[in-house]
Amino acid sequence: MLTSFIHKFSAPKSYVEMTAKLLPYIASCGLLLLLTGWVWGLAFAPEDAVQGNSYRIIFLHVPASIFAQAIYLFMSICAVMSVVWRVKLAAYLIKSAASVGALITFIALFSGSIWGIPTWGTWWQWDARITSTLILFIMYLGVITLHGSFSNLEKADRLMSILVIVGLVNIPIIKKSVDWWSTLHQPASITVSGAPTIDPSMLYPLFVSILGMGLVLISLGILSSRLHILGREKNKKWVQSYE
Amino acid sequence: MQLITANNISYTINDQKLFHGLSFSLDHGSALHIQGGNGSGKSTLIRILLGISTPTKGEIKYMQPNLVLSYLGHQNAIKSYLTPLENLELIFPKAQFDNAYSWFKKLNLIGVQDETTANLSFGQQKKLALIRILANDSDVIILDEPFVGLDQATRDLLAEYLKLRVSKGASLALTSHIEPGFNCHALVLNGGAA
Amino acid sequence: MISVMASELFKLRKKIRAWLGPLLIMILVLIAFPLSIDISQYDLNKFYFSIIVISLLVISFLATETMFVEDFEDGTLEQIYLQERDFYKLALAKVLIYVLLIGVPMSLIGSLFSFANGVDASQLPQIFITLIFSTLLLFNLFAFGAALSINKGAMLGVLATLPLALPVIILLGRAIRAVQFGNGFYEIMALMIGAGLLVAALVPLVISITLRTHLE
Repeated sequence: MLTSFIHKFSAPKSYVEMTAKLLPYIASCGLLLLLTGWVWGLAFAPEDAVQGNSYRIIFLHVPASIFAQAIYLFMSICAVMSVVWRVKLAAYLIKSAASVGALITFIALFSGSIWGIPTWGTWWQWDARITSTLILFIMYLGVITLHGSFSNLEKADRLMSILVIVGLVNIPIIKKSVDWWSTLHQPASITVSGAPTIDPSMLYPLFVSILGMGLVLISLGILSSRLHILGREKNKKWVQSYE
Repeated sequence: MQLITANNISYTINDQKLFHGLSFSLDHGSALHIQGGNGSGKSTLIRILLGISTPTKGEIKYMQPNLVLSYLGHQNAIKSYLTPLENLELIFPKAQFDNAYSWFKKLNLIGVQDETTANLSFGQQKKLALIRILANDSDVIILDEPFVGLDQATRDLLAEYLKLRVSKGASLALTSHIEPGFNCHALVLNGGAA
Repeated sequence: MISVMASELFKLRKKIRAWLGPLLIMILVLIAFPLSIDISQYDLNKFYFSIIVISLLVISFLATETMFVEDFEDGTLEQIYLQERDFYKLALAKVLIYVLLIGVPMSLIGSLFSFANGVDASQLPQIFITLIFSTLLLFNLFAFGAALSINKGAMLGVLATLPLALPVIILLGRAIRAVQFGNGFYEIMALMIGAGLLVAALVPLVISITLRTHLE
């Protein structure tokens, strides 16, 4: 039953039809949750003992960082499905996921820089996490550029999948090596208060923001992929009779 | 006896269908002339027969294990910065070099053997590339426009060679808008089923 | 395999600008750096190794960017495919020959220039070994980039594979520090040799799949 569901779902036509129905719900839920989380976090959560009000950027920065990495994981799963089982839909989704991933990684970097100004006094710091995130951003751009360079789109899909999988192997290597490197370059000032020490009154709006952002990003991805799929399959009959 | 069979193959690229439903075979001791207008998919079909491209539907089967194929297409697969002799040394291992060199002489390439290949004429480079086919005792010969750029004498030489090999049991498939000059089965591609 | 390597060696030797070019550019860069800095004001020694590392990175990329273009465009890849049905031997042979003919001289040049860093003659062999295995790693990674972008130009390959090269740079930096301060060298070298051999064995496999994709 599961395999027949997967088979049905992975046909581009069913995906487009299904998402047409689901998208309004996902998007509105996401926006609602995200706005709730943000309003709660920005206006109602208490001040941080050490950082004052400037910590509030975590309601943007933390979800962004989480999804910057989660989206790459999603892309890798799609890439494996595309290369090993030749699932066409998976290949279509990678491109959209890469665009959304690049965007959210940039937001993570940007919001991190903004946070750096009050906390470190500088908008950039060569520490392990920031450097790894910057490299991740370049990897997303590399994937997008690679796909855009080939006019034979089936070939472009396969090459992109190969690069994504190789990049996946590289991510833990990058994290470990940048971590290793940065033990030599201690960040000069306070490190961010880690999850275990965060107060529940800040944690709940954070969870809500994370959930909300996840749904919003999924909606963006769906929007982008629908456009992409309709364009790629435009010679098929079901597209030509699509409303 | 069939050496390679093609079963109901179709090819689609960027959502354009080149051909569909093709079924044929390359047989022991027979020649197949693939014909069709420009863009009808002749070169693509050749690449599918070679196993380089995969058909969108259908399959190609090599009916015997360890089938030896020799191929010459639009590209010569020779290095332009080496001399013809050096190219020959790269292509043929020591055991087959003498045979290759005798063809080299037959094709009148001795005079230019130490020139840089880039300085040779189109026809001379094509002749050098042909040695891959002439000095090879393969089971199947696949050619894409082999006669283009050759002078009449060389065309006759090639046609004679192919006729001889087919009569000895090799299988030949070629595309050529120039008539090969010997008996072939015909496979016509015309933007749809053959 | 030996014959494939012999052919690749023969071909690369004949293309003089393909191997001499990168070496000369590396020398130029290593000369250019002190010219750009007012030596009396800065302690040149502290930064010089960084320049050797960066020039290794850039020149490794330059040297490998057209590794597969020629075979792709003149039809040699198809002929190889007909005989071998995959490109593992070709990729392995090409990378090893490039490392031998270009990577080893680069390592030599880098080691000699490290004299400018106030390095002791007794440390030279260690630096040389470090640089050789770094080029082995870098050439493999950039060869993958060259295979991905094949004839679409260099920029694509480097954009795709530079993130792969950065851990190698970190490793190289650590190794050089270990040489300079005389501790932990053998541990780092073990890591580098292990990584180098693993990468040299596995990356040609990925290159083979990539080249196959281009042919279709």
